[in-house]
Amino acid sequence: MTTYSDYAYLIVGLPVLAFVLTIFLGWHLPKGGGFFTVLATFAGFIISAGIFTEIFPGEVLHQSMHWFATLNVGILIDPLALAMLLMVTFVCTLIHTYALGYMDGDPGMARYFAEAGLFTAAMLGLVFSDNILQLFIFWELVGLCSYLLIGFWYRKPSAASAAKKAFLTTRVGDVMFLAAIVILYNSMASLNLNLAPGEYLLQFPVIYKSLALIDPGQLTIIALLFLGGAVGKSGQFPLDVWLPDAMEGPTTVSAMIHAATMVTAGVYLVARMFPLFYAAPYGLLAVVYVGGFTAFYAATMGLTAFDIKRVLAFSTVSQLGYMMMAIGTGAVVGAFAVGVGMFHLIAHSFFKALLFLCAGSVIHGVGTNDMREMGGVGKYMKWTMLTMLAGGLALAGFPLTTGFFSKDEILVVAYEYGSISHQWLPYIFGIVAALMTAFYTFRMWFVAFDGEPRSDYHKHESPWVMLVPLMILAVFALAFGAFSQSGFYDAVGNNFEHYGVDFEELAVVGGHAVAHGEGHGGEAEHGGEEAVEEPFIIKILPIVVGVGGILLALLFYSRWKKLDVRKYVGERDPIRGLLLKRYYQHEILTAWFAETVVYGLSLISNMIDIKIVDGVLNKISEVTLAFAGNLRKVQTGIIENYITALVFGVVVLVILIKIGMEVGL
Amino acid sequence: MIPLELYILLAASMFTIGLYGTFTQRNGIKLMMCIELLLNSANINLVAFSAYQPNVNGQVFALFSIALAAAEAGVGFAILIALYRLYGTIDLDKINTMRW
Repeated sequence: MTTYSDYAYLIVGLPVLAFVLTIFLGWHLPKGGGFFTVLATFAGFIISAGIFTEIFPGEVLHQSMHWFATLNVGILIDPLALAMLLMVTFVCTLIHTYALGYMDGDPGMARYFAEAGLFTAAMLGLVFSDNILQLFIFWELVGLCSYLLIGFWYRKPSAASAAKKAFLTTRVGDVMFLAAIVILYNSMASLNLNLAPGEYLLQFPVIYKSLALIDPGQLTIIALLFLGGAVGKSGQFPLDVWLPDAMEGPTTVSAMIHAATMVTAGVYLVARMFPLFYAAPYGLLAVVYVGGFTAFYAATMGLTAFDIKRVLAFSTVSQLGYMMMAIGTGAVVGAFAVGVGMFHLIAHSFFKALLFLCAGSVIHGVGTNDMREMGGVGKYMKWTMLTMLAGGLALAGFPLTTGFFSKDEILVVAYEYGSISHQWLPYIFGIVAALMTAFYTFRMWFVAFDGEPRSDYHKHESPWVMLVPLMILAVFALAFGAFSQSGFYDAVGNNFEHYGVDFEELAVVGGHAVAHGEGHGGEAEHGGEEAVEEPFIIKILPIVVGVGGILLALLFYSRWKKLDVRKYVGERDPIRGLLLKRYYQHEILTAWFAETVVYGLSLISNMIDIKIVDGVLNKISEVTLAFAGNLRKVQTGIIENYITALVFGVVVLVILIKIGMEVGL
Repeated sequence: MIPLELYILLAASMFTIGLYGTFTQRNGIKLMMCIELLLNSANINLVAFSAYQPNVNGQVFALFSIALAAAEAGVGFAILIALYRLYGTIDLDKINTMRW
């Protein structure tokens, strides 16, 4: 009997097929052949759901075949991958459907849907890879597609440069990722593992098994390099510069990049390699600090942005920081942290896709990105306003929305982390960022939808093909968390038990003084016997900051405003300037680092290339040419000369033979 | 019986004449004739040695060699005719397009 599991490869195969069909035939089809991409992604969702019913809970789908040497290609679907597969296919189906309306009339529609299909395929392939090398290949493919899609309107110089920036910035991370794979491969190969048939180096189960045998110092290097890759992909500090600029692509691309297909790959990598990070001393410490700081730092920049998509971009960076931080707390709370981080990832992808698509709907209707030119849009776009409200509440962590459950749990584990390891900074970053998140989200919402129109924009609601995906996503943004939370933590938090990862053993390797190992079920019992009792104030603090931020935004920006921002923050306020300038990241990284340091270095290497590398080659060819120029004079064209040479040769030969015979050779 | 030395002397002088011809002649046909002389001096040697040794191998070999020489002459003269059509001359010093 054939089952869904037999067709697992089609999850990637169908979007690739859609890519091929749309890129070759899309020009002749209505809507650029976009329905191929939508259907392929939806079919992927159906297959993923089928696999979910077949293997869940307690089983892992693993198919692999030999590739070359000690490497393989394969499919590994465990709860962690399954959660991602379902989310990516589901959210991408909705985004592609929405794009049918949003991209309508664009001359490059076929190209859009082809690239979007490939993008989806690459992300899905990344998720279900069973070895790190295959994951890396899809990882690069994701990077390529993001480059193509961010630069979709490539005639616009800003889009072309944003695409380049995204590509080059993530490349920095990718190089580290590749280095990590190489080092990991070397240290695993030197272990001389006894591989059973069907087991290959770099396969995740094999990696998990051999972690305890690898030198911890080496593990730390590998973990930090993996983190570098994740930092590049997930836009964490300091490689976050590309993400806000990636707004230059169509809004649906932003939605895909931010919610489902691109930035989550970094977090997924850290989650996938969690046992490695756990076993590496300082691995998770780096993760928790990078994540916590990014959550805080990106949120501050969100406070001042005027571009509606840019606000959302900063919030993405910030929320990704939360996810990293959550996984990083695994040093104390164990693999349960992966469940917490991944749950926020899934929840975030619902409401962030929703928010971006709403923003796209607003931009589609109004015709501008700048919130200062909007105002009162809610009057003309009721559904967009309501669905965006749902997304905003979820992002702000309003009680009982999906975002509340996921973010609250992150703050709980961060508190636990702080109280056991006495490192409170991540928790403080988290709480402050939560307040700012609620504030800037609703600042955006009020400024855009409330008040009076501030410019003469088009006033019409978007078509239904765009609104229906919004409504579906809104339902998920509001209600998903309440139903799935504890089951999700169980499934994903215990993901690594399928491979028999012994966290207590790894904790010794990693030098974690406090480690609980497995046994994290629901929220109530996690922490085991060492559970930390939370004071009442800590329990309600996430609610307080979430609602507080919303109220603050209401006081400052809504029609009922009581406070004037200008009284508190002047036009020339240095902090405001700093935030508007995005901490001078552009000046430091692009203007100074890229255009001075890197450009200078490339001038030097250019010189070396021309003078030394090319110089040697040119000299060799010059000498050869001169020699040949002289040698060709032998060809006189006078036949007597040839005969003379021939006879001379024969005579010499005869003499040599004679000598040889005399000597007796 | 004629002593063997005389045959060898004849062959050696034919060979020298042929060699001298190939060095000096510019006319294609004369050059071909000189090459034939070279070949035939070798044939004389073969036949002479064969006659002085009770063994016909050398004479058979000479027959093969003559057949080969005929073929070689056929190809050679064909080339010369083609050259004549192309250049209007068979003076080999004038045919020097392939020199440097």
